[in-house]
Amino acid sequence: MKSAALALEMHNITKTFPGVLALDDVSFGCARGEVHALCGENGAGKSTLIKILGGAYQPDAGTIRIDGRDVAFSHPVAARKAGISIIHQELSLLPFRTVAENIFLGIEPTRYGALDRRRMRVESERLLRRLGSSITPEALAGDLSIAQQQIVEIAKAFAIEARILVMDEPTAALDRADASRLLDLVRRLSSEGVSIVYISHRMPEIQAVADRVTVLKDGRAVMTAPLAEAPTSRLIHAMVGRDLAEFYPPRSSRPPGAEALVIRAASSRHLRGVDLAVRAGEIVGVAGLEGSGKNDLARAISGDEPFETGTMEVDGRTVVARSPRAAIGAGLGRLSDDRKREGLLMQQSLRDNAALTLRAFAGLLRSPTAEPMSSAATDRRLKQLDVRAASFEQEVRLLSGGNQQRVIIARWLARDLEVLIFSEPTRGIDVAAKAAIYRIMRDLADRGRAILMISSDLPEIVGVSDRIIVMREGAVAGELPGGASEEDVMALAVEQGQSPHALLQ
Amino acid sequence: MSVADVSKPAGTAWRGLNAPLMVLVGSVALYVGVALWTGQTKMLETDGILGLLQRMVALGIVALGQTFTILAGSIDLSVANLISVAAVLASFIMQGRTEMMLPAVGVVLVVSAIVGVVNGALISWLQVNPLIATLGVGLILQGMLSASFTDFAGSVPREFQAVAYGSFGVVPYSVAALFVLAAVASIVLRATRFGAHLYAVGGNAEGARLAGIRTDLVTIGAHVVCSLAAGVTGLYLASRLRSGAPWIGRDGVYDLESIAVVVIGGTLLAGGRGGVWGTLAGVLLFASLDAAFNMMGVSAYPKLVLRGAIVIAAVAVYTVRTRGHVA
Repeated sequence: MKSAALALEMHNITKTFPGVLALDDVSFGCARGEVHALCGENGAGKSTLIKILGGAYQPDAGTIRIDGRDVAFSHPVAARKAGISIIHQELSLLPFRTVAENIFLGIEPTRYGALDRRRMRVESERLLRRLGSSITPEALAGDLSIAQQQIVEIAKAFAIEARILVMDEPTAALDRADASRLLDLVRRLSSEGVSIVYISHRMPEIQAVADRVTVLKDGRAVMTAPLAEAPTSRLIHAMVGRDLAEFYPPRSSRPPGAEALVIRAASSRHLRGVDLAVRAGEIVGVAGLEGSGKNDLARAISGDEPFETGTMEVDGRTVVARSPRAAIGAGLGRLSDDRKREGLLMQQSLRDNAALTLRAFAGLLRSPTAEPMSSAATDRRLKQLDVRAASFEQEVRLLSGGNQQRVIIARWLARDLEVLIFSEPTRGIDVAAKAAIYRIMRDLADRGRAILMISSDLPEIVGVSDRIIVMREGAVAGELPGGASEEDVMALAVEQGQSPHALLQ
Repeated sequence: MSVADVSKPAGTAWRGLNAPLMVLVGSVALYVGVALWTGQTKMLETDGILGLLQRMVALGIVALGQTFTILAGSIDLSVANLISVAAVLASFIMQGRTEMMLPAVGVVLVVSAIVGVVNGALISWLQVNPLIATLGVGLILQGMLSASFTDFAGSVPREFQAVAYGSFGVVPYSVAALFVLAAVASIVLRATRFGAHLYAVGGNAEGARLAGIRTDLVTIGAHVVCSLAAGVTGLYLASRLRSGAPWIGRDGVYDLESIAVVVIGGTLLAGGRGGVWGTLAGVLLFASLDAAFNMMGVSAYPKLVLRGAIVIAAVAVYTVRTRGHVA
């Protein structure tokens, strides 16, 4: 079925944002009827590439060709007109409108100036049948299952006669049966000549559906190969491939100190009977799949969604952390996994951001020189952490992810807390900055703090932790020594029968 | 580290100090320009300028309060109604008697503070959207007031009229009070824990909460400040009009105008950035506009059009400036 003409060509695309080189000379193509898988770690540049293809961003350099003709999209509408349709991970249907209204959103057919509802219904019906679905056009989109909503999104793409379909982790929210039905549909669409860019972390899916694979890493296309030459092991190596020994700081040779944090039989809505202990000077990694409770654990310890039963001790003192404020008062700090939403005051200065925790506990009046408000002390901490910025008065939103994370670390170092919880400490941060964050964490541990690192990044868990706690279904599934293999962690994290590759997402 | 770690903050300076300054310069230029153009140089002498400043007092005080709610990421639509309540309550309790001045002022301030606590509690504890919460409270206040009073109620004694008409030498008490209040507000924002928390909550409420700030108390505090400011404005208007009527707040459009001048002064409507000096500059701009139209002898309606245009232009300019390079 494959024709020689490339439906889509992207040549030498480069894109920079303040703080990051998001794409560096990336070329990517997709033939008619080809399924081209695009994979890479978070932050590798996949979404930037897709946003450029979809017209949401303009590249700094490079060209895009559709069916051999040069195009430049200044706006998403232009890309749609050129036959490109992107189905995002978060579906965008209007829940209180019907399926037909959603499919024809923005391209509603009219008759004598009035909405032609009959045609919308009939056409929707036809599109849905073509996709092998029995959804009725009159149903409300919000009443459909996620899998059905996905079908509607695809129907939406065909309503504008899309010839290039980009699917961003389409099976992420689907159960296994629905996922395999979707993969069947992808194969069928490609056999009808639709070009499909398929973004996924799931290796078995890529093996099942792709004709070709491109791996992005740190903004570069490090590998493009036909599927036959891209076994899973090679893909993973291309995605992760780096010299791990240099990347992670050496573990401390000193034995850890006394138990700084002890949790016994603690439960909450999402957690069941958690027992764990972290010693001063130790980095304990917490791994687990999405929904395993590892993030709930961080929230519970830090008082955001407190434990309902069980006990918690910090340095031997019993602690009841009913709120973040109470937890901080007891010596427990948490760096959120969502820097933007739960961390930074984006439009305020580095200083204001770094002084936040200190100010939360300041006396009623602040004098310009007294510690809680002093910018001298804040500046010292920012310098210690090697924050790079034009000025500490600069707005924090203009910094790179790595520097933003350092500002937040500075915030937490302002109070001398016994236990620091790092949730996804390197999410969305480039590689060089990752290594720096690891060094900072190790340094903090060496200075006697107890560190709990919650992470979905398996190499990070294995590379950084002194001990690894694996969670599953809200409980501690097991514990492993530092340096355990990724496979060991996976074995504990997955339920029986679940693909170990799910962990890679 | 990669390329743009030391990227220049695009136009940051504009919004910090310079937004108020721009508005200030614009206002002065407008006022002086129109005075010279119409040949009313008398308006540039002490009396004329004091007259201009006196125009600022009522809106200025409410707007100082509104600055606090907006900085905290909230907003208060009940101020106009609370001003009416305060003015009527003051003159009704005083009934022209000197000895009732202090009790009346006390009652007004207590009532205002309670309204502030109610607004803040609705927003932070019951999680009602600030627009809806304060709109609702405002309607309730207006309803209770209009049910009880239909016209000017009571009167204020001569001594209380000094609030609006008395002066230190040439400087009216009211003008002095406005600037003293602004200075106090500025110090509170800059040099107290409450001020720092206010900016933090407005900048990222969830981030502030997780850093240990009691965001609910901060929101309530901001609303108490705002309601107290509205109460004081009500007292001032009662003094100026010699009595209080249930429509004076609404007639002054203090709710929307106070929001408008805060925004013109460069405070982000989303909260977290800005300050009281910008707000005062915004108030001065509106006062200059009034004065300019008076000098030109033009009817008041084109003025409204111009005010609207200025608010929109100001927000558009700030937004474009803010966007910078970050998508």
